Amino acid sequence: MKATLVLENGRSFEGVSIGAPAERIGEVILNTAVVGYQEMMTDPANAGKLLALTYPLIGNYGVANKFYESRKCWVNGLIMKECSRIYSNWQAEGSFQDFLNHEGVVALSEVDTRTLAVELRNHGEMMGIITSEPLDGQKAIKKLREHKKKGKNNFISNISVKAITEVETGSRGPRVAVLDLGMLKSFTAQLKSLKCGVALLPYNITPKEILAIKPDGLVISSGPEDDAAIPEIIKTVNGVLGKIPILGISLGHELIALALGGKVKKMKLGHRGVNYPVKPADSFKGEITTQNHSYIVDEDSIRRKKAVEITLRNINDGSIEEMESKSLKFISTQYYPVSPGFGEVNNVFLRFLKLLNPSGRAGIKTKKNKQLEVSYAKT
Amino acid sequence: MPKRKDIHKILMIGSGPIVIGQACEFDYSGSQACKALKEEGYRTILVNSNPATIMTDPNMADVTYIEPLTVEAVTEIIKKERPDAILPTLGGQTGLNLAFFLMKEGILKKYGVESIGANVDAISRAEDRELFKKAMLEIGIDVPKSGIATTIEEGIKIGLGIGFPLILRPAYTLGGTGGSIAYNKEELELFLAKGIELSPVGQILVEQSVLGWKEIEFEVMRDCVDNVIMITSMENVDPMGVHTGDSIVVAPSQTLTKEEYAQFVNLSKKIIRKIGITGGGANIQFAQNPANGHIVIIEVNPRLSRSSALASKATGFPIARVATKLAVGLTLPEVLNQITGGTKAFFEPTVDYCVFKICRFTFEKFPQTNRTLNTSMKAVGEAMSIGRNFKEALQKGIRSTEIRRFGLGCDGRDKITDENIESPGADTIQTIKEKIRLPNDDRLFYIRYALKLGMTAEEIYELSRIDMWFIDNLKQIVELEEGLKNYRKTSQKGSIKIPPAVLLEAKKYGFSDVQIAFLTKSSEKEVRELRKRHDIKPTYKLVDTCAGEIKAKQPYYYSTYETEDESRPTKNKKVLILGGGPNRIGQGIEFDYCCCHASYALKEEGIESIMVNCNPETVSTDYDTSDKLYFEPLTVEDVMNIVDNEKPIGAIVQFGGQTPLNISGELHKMGLNILGTSPDSIDIAEDRKRFQQMLKKLKLVQPDNGTATSFEEAKKIAHTIGYPVVVRPSYVLGGRAMEIVYDEKALCDYMERATEASPEKPILIDKFLEDAIEVDVDAIADGKRCVIGGFLEHIEEAGIHSGDSAMVLPPHTLGKDIIDTIKKNTYAMAKELKVKGLMNVQYAVKNNIVYVLEVNPRASRTVPFVSKAIGIPLAKLATKIMLGKTLDELGFTKEKNINFVVVKESVFPFIRFPGADAILGPEMKSTGEVMGMDSTFGMAYAKSQLAAGQKLPKKGNVFISVKNQDKRNMVFVAKKLSDLGFKILATIGTAEALRSNDIEVRVLPKLHEGRPNIIDFIKDNKVHLIINTPAGKATKEDESKIRAHAILYNVPLITTVSGAQASVNGIENLIKKPEMSVRSLQDYHKKIK
Repeated sequence: MKATLVLENGRSFEGVSIGAPAERIGEVILNTAVVGYQEMMTDPANAGKLLALTYPLIGNYGVANKFYESRKCWVNGLIMKECSRIYSNWQAEGSFQDFLNHEGVVALSEVDTRTLAVELRNHGEMMGIITSEPLDGQKAIKKLREHKKKGKNNFISNISVKAITEVETGSRGPRVAVLDLGMLKSFTAQLKSLKCGVALLPYNITPKEILAIKPDGLVISSGPEDDAAIPEIIKTVNGVLGKIPILGISLGHELIALALGGKVKKMKLGHRGVNYPVKPADSFKGEITTQNHSYIVDEDSIRRKKAVEITLRNINDGSIEEMESKSLKFISTQYYPVSPGFGEVNNVFLRFLKLLNPSGRAGIKTKKNKQLEVSYAKT
Repeated sequence: MPKRKDIHKILMIGSGPIVIGQACEFDYSGSQACKALKEEGYRTILVNSNPATIMTDPNMADVTYIEPLTVEAVTEIIKKERPDAILPTLGGQTGLNLAFFLMKEGILKKYGVESIGANVDAISRAEDRELFKKAMLEIGIDVPKSGIATTIEEGIKIGLGIGFPLILRPAYTLGGTGGSIAYNKEELELFLAKGIELSPVGQILVEQSVLGWKEIEFEVMRDCVDNVIMITSMENVDPMGVHTGDSIVVAPSQTLTKEEYAQFVNLSKKIIRKIGITGGGANIQFAQNPANGHIVIIEVNPRLSRSSALASKATGFPIARVATKLAVGLTLPEVLNQITGGTKAFFEPTVDYCVFKICRFTFEKFPQTNRTLNTSMKAVGEAMSIGRNFKEALQKGIRSTEIRRFGLGCDGRDKITDENIESPGADTIQTIKEKIRLPNDDRLFYIRYALKLGMTAEEIYELSRIDMWFIDNLKQIVELEEGLKNYRKTSQKGSIKIPPAVLLEAKKYGFSDVQIAFLTKSSEKEVRELRKRHDIKPTYKLVDTCAGEIKAKQPYYYSTYETEDESRPTKNKKVLILGGGPNRIGQGIEFDYCCCHASYALKEEGIESIMVNCNPETVSTDYDTSDKLYFEPLTVEDVMNIVDNEKPIGAIVQFGGQTPLNISGELHKMGLNILGTSPDSIDIAEDRKRFQQMLKKLKLVQPDNGTATSFEEAKKIAHTIGYPVVVRPSYVLGGRAMEIVYDEKALCDYMERATEASPEKPILIDKFLEDAIEVDVDAIADGKRCVIGGFLEHIEEAGIHSGDSAMVLPPHTLGKDIIDTIKKNTYAMAKELKVKGLMNVQYAVKNNIVYVLEVNPRASRTVPFVSKAIGIPLAKLATKIMLGKTLDELGFTKEKNINFVVVKESVFPFIRFPGADAILGPEMKSTGEVMGMDSTFGMAYAKSQLAAGQKLPKKGNVFISVKNQDKRNMVFVAKKLSDLGFKILATIGTAEALRSNDIEVRVLPKLHEGRPNIIDFIKDNKVHLIINTPAGKATKEDESKIRAHAILYNVPLITTVSGAQASVNGIENLIKKPEMSVRSLQDYHKKIK
């Protein structure tokens, strides 16, 4: 069935509907990674978005339960060039179409995603509507405006755990609490392989309640950046900042900046992909990072905060990629501290662990080459 | 880290002549390296023996040596130039090996030269199999199980321990030579015996077979502060078992999950760190078990490679340029990504398209050889194609290889037609299955036949182990093909009734107009018109390294059927340059050199240059060679689409070899202005009758000849002009299917075979001038004036293809009167043909008569060679002439006299084609060429031989066996060798002739008569030079066996009398002057008047 994506600026893109036959409105975002469709779609940070994949061939290797980054698919719609009709990989448990059906995803295929990418690059990320109705541009734009008037969504309340939830890790190491705004399984898995005890906290927990459970450290997870719940969470972060060691990831990083009284600003086009270079200002040694965000911490707003050190910057646009504060005991990364490979742990988690144990008391070591098991309920 | 200030002069080693496994990609990497080092302010010294390269252009490096790539020659260069550092990673295996020997022999240390990019430890860890295995196991990466055997018993023990099938690799043989696969104990024994014999050190590696596993490659780069980036992944469509250089490759990988991908990246990073590359790139090859994901490492190349060239062109990321900058101490965050113009090289390219590499083979040149692909590389070239999906990229890729196919079949050239498939015989099915099971250059087409027969993807997978995802995509193409047949035209006059939506779908699947026309029983023209009527035309998208995320400053383009065009055609005056497509025998780097010069000339003239080519190995497909690059197949459809889009003032077709010429007529008819010599003049030169008329008018002589369309006619013509005659089809390059026939039976034979070589085209028959001297002339003309760039006298007598013959410039046996006649004739023809640009004429001189053999009003293979010799960039000047300049204005009005000698020698791929006889003839067989330069002919010739890998001995045993008519001429050669201290061995006939002239000879028995015979001598390294002239068409079995062994054991082999004479001259020079003198190209050019 034919379907169309209409952008806020009136530009439309024809395609074929291959998922659930419904209308969907959301902000259109791009991801430039070649692999990882299932992971991107189940990343809660993408909740409500219409995700466009720039790599044209999708579904080639099917889907598997272990590639879920959270309990379900969060994107509001998926836009791609070509959906593979078969899948071929020994790990696959089902086809991409099955996944789309199972998750009820509205998906638009056979779209000139290259042109869409260029459009977003030139005019910035914007709202869009996927519809299979033959509709004229004006009407679509009207719908988009009406949708915008409704104000921000509160995805986080839906994403986050409802109560403090222990993750079965079987570990004797430090207890790490995670403010769950959209925690990824692959991050939890890294904490697990570091032998941390992990507890997921609901987004609306109070600072008092957090401190009451006496975690050795707190991770403020990634999640949707433009959410109605955020003002409340900033207060929570403010209440714990400086009191326990904190690792902020992506949205978590932005929340720390906001809690410090800083500001965040929206980029014209977000950083979403696996090839973003970052490095310290005074060094030539950097890292290639995975990212998924549209906001960055405003430089001017944070520069005056003396306790905060900007430890990494984006090599190309100079934006803040990582902050650290010795006195406030936090590390925050705009990028995703992903695992470098099977069972291995990102250096950021190791650094976070050192904040918990400056003396190295727990003697935590990374366990290499161990297959990851994630304890979330399977879908 | 800022670049290093403690080094100033850097020596670069090129890769030498084009051979199978080492082609233009090292000209691309070397040229980028030259530019990158210059940019950073270093003084560059370059050595390469291959004159057809852009890198050896005198303005690329500060000092350029065209000298043999031997330890001796390079040592002399080091002594003279005293470089601070050597960059060994850009010249392929040749460059790396040479640098390695210079390190091992302490020469670098002695002269204080540091190796940058890769040091001796890094090279050893990657190249030495034992060290490599140890290093990989240390970082927890599996390698296939293996062991080294020196006896058959040992090998069997190792083999049985590992289990079948087993891969056997003889140690120290070139590029997988002699490798085999054993499936049982009997085969193992057989191959062990053969392999141990083949290995010069008597060693053989017995290795676990990972046959049928996925073959995955990663390109990685690392700088001196340990930043590591991944350029791209590549997945071989042909699974393990086919050399990656012969495999169809797709980029990025298509069937890996994110987790697997991350794991490969992780391993790649560990490997490049372990190998210890601290400023450069590496290509890493893995095998992965498709059933459980188990990964083993196959190989690491600690240098720029064929795959890195492909990765560069596939992503837009200039690996060679960046690797060079890293080698001098810069870090990735400091190097600019020139494609985007605004970002740094420290990032990982991402793509929003699918890329194919499809190889070009030349089995037709070596009919005796088996077409099965294995672990020894056989491809001579490759094409790259880009599409928005797998199907489009694949079909574009097939037509890019120029095997006269227009996509995945259904183009009127299928070996098994639809009718055959409807009622297939048991043998047809058997053939199809066999062709799918055994890897070969036609396999894709046979998969198509199988799919049409109704075989399932699973069955095809079971036979081929090609991933199901790939097979399913092929199936989708076949399904659409079947659908298109529904729109078949019912009558000749009717029009095609294909709905626009279906037509668009077919274009999105990469179907060419030719295929659609074939399926709908209409013509390409009709399809094209229909497309235009419905506004179905390609859009051009970008290769920009970043999937559109960043606006690119210097991208390049590919066609696809999408909604928006991004090519942004300018209103500038612009010219299209049509490139040469994939390398093949007869058409290679020389033409790419010319195309690049066309581009440089356009730049100098302020005209926008637009390059069209599909060869990823070349300099012409580099992002900064032309103003705009279209990475597209060179077919009428694809080129005309670009013409419609860009509206150039004209196109240059004379530089890309036969590829653009073949389509120039049609392009011209469709309204494209052909710059330079008119298509009509090209036709005069190509059309026998018109050419004859012209010669008659100019009172020039050609050998008696005729044109035949039937055997009867041919017989009559041959009878009239008298045997021997040269026969060949018209309109072919590289002497394809050209033969000398000595009698009627041979002629009949030929006529039967030749119809396949060039259908619809007649056969040309010429009188063969035995023992004539051939001369090639490269000239340039502006329509009025003509100047000759060089007279190239062939060293071998007439009858050997000019592409295979050694040549010397200036001529060393021709008198002034002959040269003057040649000059006069050339001028006259240039004037008559109103040549505007380049012209090549082949003459034969016999009994003081100058015969015109052939005129080609286009760039010839020898243009770069002559340009390097005389210091004049002929192709560049020719381009300017095409744009309206005169030779007067360009200041080139008189022939150059050089006071030194240059010799061109060819190199041959016989070692790759077991069964093919190593003799020269009218069909071209060489893959590349070298240049020897010196003050005397003898030394220049000796250098050319050394450069071509022919190690002329200074002492030892020479075996001579020549045909009767050569015996007299051989006396002088043998006498000289004997005087120089060589021991002469000969077969009885030759020995008698030599003895009667007082030459001491040891007689060796014929092969079947007794031992030790010559084969034993070869195997025992007791013969150091073999002179063997073949006795005619029906070569004696003994002879070809001797030649095959000479090739296998790398004993210098000479198959012509003139070659022997020149070689003896060279040997004498080498003995007299033990220290090789080297001189830079710039220095030679200074002295030219």
